[in-house]
Amino acid sequence: MEGEEEERRARQAARESDVHRVDAYGFERPADFDYTTYEEFFSTYLVVLTRRAIKWSKLLKGNSGVPKSLKVKRYIRKGIPNEHRALVWMIVSGAQAHMEQNPGYYQKLLEGEKNDKLVETIKTDMNRTFPDNIRFRKTADPCLQKALYNVLVAYGHHNKSVGYCQGMNFIAGYLILITKNEEESFWLLDALIGRILPDYYSPEMLGLKTDQEVLGELVRMKVPAIAELMERHGIMWTLVVSRWFICLFIDILPVETVLRIWDCLFYEGSKIIFRVALTLIKQHQAFILEATNFPDICDKFKQITKGPFVTECHTFMQKIFTDPGSLKMATIEKLRETSREKLIAQR
Amino acid sequence: MSRKKSPRAKGASASSSSAAASSSAPSAALPAAQPPQRQAAGHAGAEAAAAANGVAPPGRPSLSSSGEFYDVAFKVMLVGDSGVGKTCLLVRFKDGAFLAGSFISTVGIDFRNKVLNVDGVKVKLQIWDTAGQERFRSVTHAYYRDAHALLLLYDVTNRASFDNMQAWLTEIQEYAKQDVVLMLLGNKVDSTQERVVKREDGEKLAKEYGVPFMETSAKSGLNVDLAFTAIAKELKHRAMKLPNEPRFKLHDYVKKEVKGAGCCRS
Repeated sequence: MEGEEEERRARQAARESDVHRVDAYGFERPADFDYTTYEEFFSTYLVVLTRRAIKWSKLLKGNSGVPKSLKVKRYIRKGIPNEHRALVWMIVSGAQAHMEQNPGYYQKLLEGEKNDKLVETIKTDMNRTFPDNIRFRKTADPCLQKALYNVLVAYGHHNKSVGYCQGMNFIAGYLILITKNEEESFWLLDALIGRILPDYYSPEMLGLKTDQEVLGELVRMKVPAIAELMERHGIMWTLVVSRWFICLFIDILPVETVLRIWDCLFYEGSKIIFRVALTLIKQHQAFILEATNFPDICDKFKQITKGPFVTECHTFMQKIFTDPGSLKMATIEKLRETSREKLIAQR
Repeated sequence: MSRKKSPRAKGASASSSSAAASSSAPSAALPAAQPPQRQAAGHAGAEAAAAANGVAPPGRPSLSSSGEFYDVAFKVMLVGDSGVGKTCLLVRFKDGAFLAGSFISTVGIDFRNKVLNVDGVKVKLQIWDTAGQERFRSVTHAYYRDAHALLLLYDVTNRASFDNMQAWLTEIQEYAKQDVVLMLLGNKVDSTQERVVKREDGEKLAKEYGVPFMETSAKSGLNVDLAFTAIAKELKHRAMKLPNEPRFKLHDYVKKEVKGAGCCRS
C-alpha cells in the first residue's frame, strides 16, 4: 500500500512538474502559450518573489496576527507569497475570526438537509469548472471536484438569499486551489460574497448591475473618449465587463495576476476591481479607439486582457495604483448610490 | 501605447470579427408583447426594421477584420436553461468540433462570428451565447431586442429544461423584436438512453407557438448546421428579397431538410 501511495505521489508530482504543459496551480497551458515572454518575465519576477518571501517571513514570525497598517497594506500590494497566501487571506478578510467563532458550522451545513434544486444547479457546473486544471479532473487524486461541490453546497445553504450563482464555482475553485482546505475556502467565499463584494450574486444581481454602471461613470470621468465610443455604438458595459466582476478576473487575466489582485481585494475591498478595470481600459485607450463598430469593440475588450501587460503581474499591480489616479471609496459609494437608484427606478 | 506586442500576435485564436455590423441605440423602445403565433408576424417592414437595426446594407460587400468579405450581417442569440448545450452547439457550428469535457460554464454573455454562403450571398452571423441560469436573464434580456433571430434550446435528457420553455417563450415575447426569427431546438439527441423528452412533445410545443422545430446533437453534429443555415436563409431573404421572388418558407425548408435522430449516428 505504502509503495503504491508513493508511486501515486511521484506520478502526480511528475505530472505537475511538467512546466511546459501545466502551471504551478494545475492549469494546462494553452497550445499557443507564449513561453518566451513568460520566461523572460518570470526570471525577473523570481527575484521579486524571493525578496517578498524573506520580508513576509520576518513579518509573520512570532506575531500570529496581521494588523491593519500601512506597512501591511504596502506588503500586500507587493504580493503575498504563495506559501502564506491562504493564511493572510484568512486573517485580513476576517474569515479566520468567523471560522473560529463558528466551530463545526461548516460540517453541520454539509450534514444538514439539502435543497434538491440548489444541488442540481451546482452539479450542472461541476464538469464545467476548470476542465483545463488537472486537479479538477475526475482522474485526479485527490479530485478537487468533491471539495468544490461541498463548498458550494454548504455556501448555498448558509446564504440562502444567494444560493448558487454561476461564477461562484470559479471563485470557490480558486480558493480551494490556494487554501487546499474546504472549510477555509468556505469562510473565504463567505468573506467575499457576504462582506467584501456588493450583492453581485443574488437573484436580482443588483450589485453587479450597479457596479457596471459605476464603472461606466468612472470611465466617463477618467477615460472620456472610451465612454463616448461606447455610447456612440450603443454598447452597454455589461456586455464587455460582466465577467470581470462576476468571476473577479478568473479566466480573464492570467492566474498569477488574478491572485495578486485578490491579495488586495481581501485587504482593501471591492474598489480594487474598479482599479483593475480602469487600468486595463486606460492603458489600451488608443487600441480600443481603433475599433469602428460594435463587434470590433467587443473584440478589443477581450484582447486587452491578454499579452505581456497583464502577464507581468508585478508591474501591472503597481500600475493599478497609479494609472487610474485617485479613487476614493467615498466617490465609489456615492456613484453606487445614484446608480442603484437609477436602476431601481428603471425596473 | 506601451504594449510590447499586440495580444493578437499569437494569432491562432484571433476571432473573426467584422467591419460593418450593428450600432443599435440603447434607447430603442422595447417592442410590445405579441401573441404566440409567430407565423402571423408580418413580413412587411422587415427590411426597414433590419436596416434600422444596423444590418450591413446589401450590395456593397464589407470586409471583416479577418479578411472575410460578407454582404449582410445579423445577430443571433442562443437561449435556454443552463447546461442544455448552447455553447457546444455554437462551437460545433463554428469550428465543427465537440467540446467533450473541455468547456466551462458561460458566465454573462459572449459572442462568435461565422460567415455563411447563402445562395451566393455572404451572410455573417454574429452569434451571442448567453448564460442559462435564471438570474442572468435580467442581464441578458437587454440584448433580445437587438437580436434578429433566437435559437431556443432545451435538453431532451432534462425534463425541467423542456418544462421551462414556456417561461422562455414568455420572456422572448416580452423582450424580443416582434418579427424576430425564432426556432426551437431539442439538443443532445445522441443520448438515446437518457432521453426523457419525446420528439412529439417538442413538435407539439413548437406547433402551439408557430415556430420551426428540430432535434439536434452538438456531439454528433445532427442538424446543427441546418439550424443556423435555415436562420441565415430566412434573414437573408427578409433583408434582400426581390419584388418578384417567392417568399422563403422557413417552416417548409426545415421540414424538408431536417434529419431524424436515428439516421446520423454510426
